[in-house]
Amino acid sequence: MRKFLDGLYHISGAIAGVLILAICVLISCQILLNGLGRMFGQILPTTIPSYADFSGYMLAASSFLALAHTLRSGGHIRVNLIMQTMSKNLQVLFETISLIISISLVGYATWFMAKLVQESIHYGDKSSGIIPIPLGIPQSVVLIGLIILLIALIDTFVELLRKREPILTSADEV
Amino acid sequence: MSDPIIALTLLGLLIGLLAMGVWVAVSLAIVGLVAITCFSNAPSGLVLATTFWGHSHSWSLTALPLFILMGEILLRSRLSQDMFSGLAPWLGGLPGRLLHVNILGCAIFAAVSGSSAATAATIGRMSVPELKERGYPEGLILGTLAGSATLGLLIPPSIILIVYGVATEQSIARLFVAGILPGILLISLFAGYVAIRAFLNPDLIPKDNIKFSLREKLRASRNLIPVALLIIGVIGSIYAGLASPTDAAALGVVLSILLAYLTGSFSKSLIWDAVMSATRTSCMIAFILVGAAFLSSAMGFTGLPRNLAAWIGDMNLSLYALLAALTVFFIILGCFLDGISVVVLTTSIIMPMVAQVGIDPLWFGIYLVVVVEMSQITPPVGFNLFVIQGLTGINILRIAKAAFPFFLLLLLGVALITAFPSIVTFLPNAMSG
Amino acid sequence: EDWDMPTPYGDSTFHTQNISQFAKDVSAATNGDLNITIHSAGSLFPHGEIKNAVRSRQVPLGEFFLSTLSNEDAAYGVDSQPFVATSYEDAAKLWSAQKPVITELLAEQGLMPLFSVPWPAQGLYTKNEITAVEQLNGLRFRAYNAALEEFAALAGAAPVQVEAPDIPQAFSTGQVDAMITSPSTGANSKAWDFVSNYNAIDAWVPKNIVVVNKRMFDGLSAETQQAVLDAAQAAETRGWEMSAEEATAKTAVMADNGMTISTPTDALKSGLQAIGATMLETWNAKASDAAKSIIATYNQ
Ligand code: NA
Ligand code: NA
Repeated sequence: MRKFLDGLYHISGAIAGVLILAICVLISCQILLNGLGRMFGQILPTTIPSYADFSGYMLAASSFLALAHTLRSGGHIRVNLIMQTMSKNLQVLFETISLIISISLVGYATWFMAKLVQESIHYGDKSSGIIPIPLGIPQSVVLIGLIILLIALIDTFVELLRKREPILTSADEV
Repeated sequence: MSDPIIALTLLGLLIGLLAMGVWVAVSLAIVGLVAITCFSNAPSGLVLATTFWGHSHSWSLTALPLFILMGEILLRSRLSQDMFSGLAPWLGGLPGRLLHVNILGCAIFAAVSGSSAATAATIGRMSVPELKERGYPEGLILGTLAGSATLGLLIPPSIILIVYGVATEQSIARLFVAGILPGILLISLFAGYVAIRAFLNPDLIPKDNIKFSLREKLRASRNLIPVALLIIGVIGSIYAGLASPTDAAALGVVLSILLAYLTGSFSKSLIWDAVMSATRTSCMIAFILVGAAFLSSAMGFTGLPRNLAAWIGDMNLSLYALLAALTVFFIILGCFLDGISVVVLTTSIIMPMVAQVGIDPLWFGIYLVVVVEMSQITPPVGFNLFVIQGLTGINILRIAKAAFPFFLLLLLGVALITAFPSIVTFLPNAMSG
Repeated sequence: EDWDMPTPYGDSTFHTQNISQFAKDVSAATNGDLNITIHSAGSLFPHGEIKNAVRSRQVPLGEFFLSTLSNEDAAYGVDSQPFVATSYEDAAKLWSAQKPVITELLAEQGLMPLFSVPWPAQGLYTKNEITAVEQLNGLRFRAYNAALEEFAALAGAAPVQVEAPDIPQAFSTGQVDAMITSPSTGANSKAWDFVSNYNAIDAWVPKNIVVVNKRMFDGLSAETQQAVLDAAQAAETRGWEMSAEEATAKTAVMADNGMTISTPTDALKSGLQAIGATMLETWNAKASDAAKSIIATYNQ
């Protein structure tokens, strides 16, 4: 189970990374076409249709898919100034409360994101650019990212109850 | 409950959640949820999902992860080290020495990027480890970085000036030009402050006893060539019309990979480490951004910001009194909303007031940006603080303390452009001939 | 009752001034029973989310640019089809043909159109004066949707995607040489800073639309419903007049600032109309029967 969950966070995080690289490649190709178009006129097509839309959707997908991976590696920031001065038991208590709050919020967001995706697919919503992209596709990826984050939060919560010590320490100070 | 009481309650809730150690993004969304559920009749869950989706895929946001990635690659290759060793001999005589790299680095990068978060992330990724290693005081490293990175908003291109220009039908080109002199003014204020601190307290800055001859200086400067090429490539592509400012971020990544390859520090694992690190940082920022967007939308539904702004309008203040009141209002609002939200939520009410007392909307746009810059470094919600905490692991309250002098310098900047409005209007007026 | 109404446009846009008056009319006619609060400049939702927010009853009503829906059905985008309807008169005629069709389409999503107000007709902005279509050949032409990309290709120009805020820079750096947009956008972005010629080719007359959620509308009392419909009718009439005034005023602003304002030569006109005819054929090939019926009705 542990292996499976860590693998899940790792793979979704890696896909998010690949998406960032893909945005970079896509935009670079567009710049290249701009340059070639300026130098040689219209031999090649001058634009990658809807490249701005595609970049935006890949960014949304990347941001949400990386949520769980970022959580587990202590990348989501919080103000832990007061926490550090407290006894370990109190720290565990506050960590428990903040995980319960986060699980509730992310659960709530996941539920309504599912409704949004469902509605979007039902009505066949499309992007308004040159290429009509069915919005249900990028929205589903966003939903999957939220679901994996929810799993990671519950996972962390269970781990906290078992070990009775804070699981997610922040990134070290440099 | 009256509006000021509601606002204070929500602010209290936000501080309480953050103090308990709840993640920043979650805290913002919870406060939004409470506000929209208790003080409006909009369906909170659907609005939450719509804002999360609607604010996660904007085109102008795509530059952010790319600029962060560029910073990560520069950090991992020898390029950032080279930049500092190339600059060190030249800045040896200036009080504050390499701290000025933070200020000027941010200023140069601000000419490429439209956001202050990207500026803080990219420059900070390189400069914080370098300066710490050389023994510079933490307070000034963090302060100069947090403060100067806000210039990303003022020096063109600027996302927030675009938002203001669209909302108020001002020419974006003119707003951009109007931002240049105030940007230079703020750079001078920051650099002057660092120089005076260093001059008054010579022990503050690590000694650099080696004296360089001109020949040695020039030889050291060869180290600057790669980074200079990078900057010229990125800025050049924009002004040659090959790339929009957002496109240019991708070019920055490609050029930094190329330079890493040419200087022999390239490896696949280096690039992948950089990608994953950039992915985590940009995910952290994106999560906070959507949380903040939901809070902002919730505030729109409750009508709080516009009611508070209208309350100022009802006081019928004179020009300077109005500006003073608005500055206080924006500073308070900027403590718990992000800058773009402050602008879109209040312009409807503020612009008529501003017009009534005869303030030039072009000047007001620049004033607003400088005020919004302050909000980037005030706790609890300050994006530069978040980014720098993400980079260094140092708590935002400690970063905010280090940034406080720069907050005051921005305030001084506001006072100066108010006293001498031509700092703002001179260039755009010259442009129209 | 209190209703929130999002719009993507800022307060100084005539569309926003028009809906503010609409809100005031509704409030007055219902003696304050229904108060509409306008949330301008995209402060509640981004432009692209407004329609869906009304559909799922996050807000009861909202305004957006009609032809952004043209990928959902070509019927929504018929007003942005070049050289179909180029005057306010024709645009009004086209709207009366389009309205029943999109009313039906919107009803499938639980939405009901209240009123629609056009932007001023779209003109051609170029660095050099254009007197014939052939002069567009080889120019870098701003395209932000499929129709404009096709237009550029047919005119022999290179389509370039430039987001609205990047326009001034794109012109001054040579990334684009030509664009089609309204005199409002031209005057507001101070087009004279970066481009010198405006040709009033009146390519098309695109519209904003205000839609209401049908279930929320049905939840109002009969008198309040009537008050909303009356105010909407008045807003549509007023909006069309405001648009015409805007066209004259903003064109004058451009002229005052030294731009060369011209009307198309006969050669340019016939060349553009030929392109328009070709584009209409392509459009016909993908359009639904309902969408085609709009053109049929319009041509009667
Ligand atoms: Na900038
Ligand atoms: Na702040």
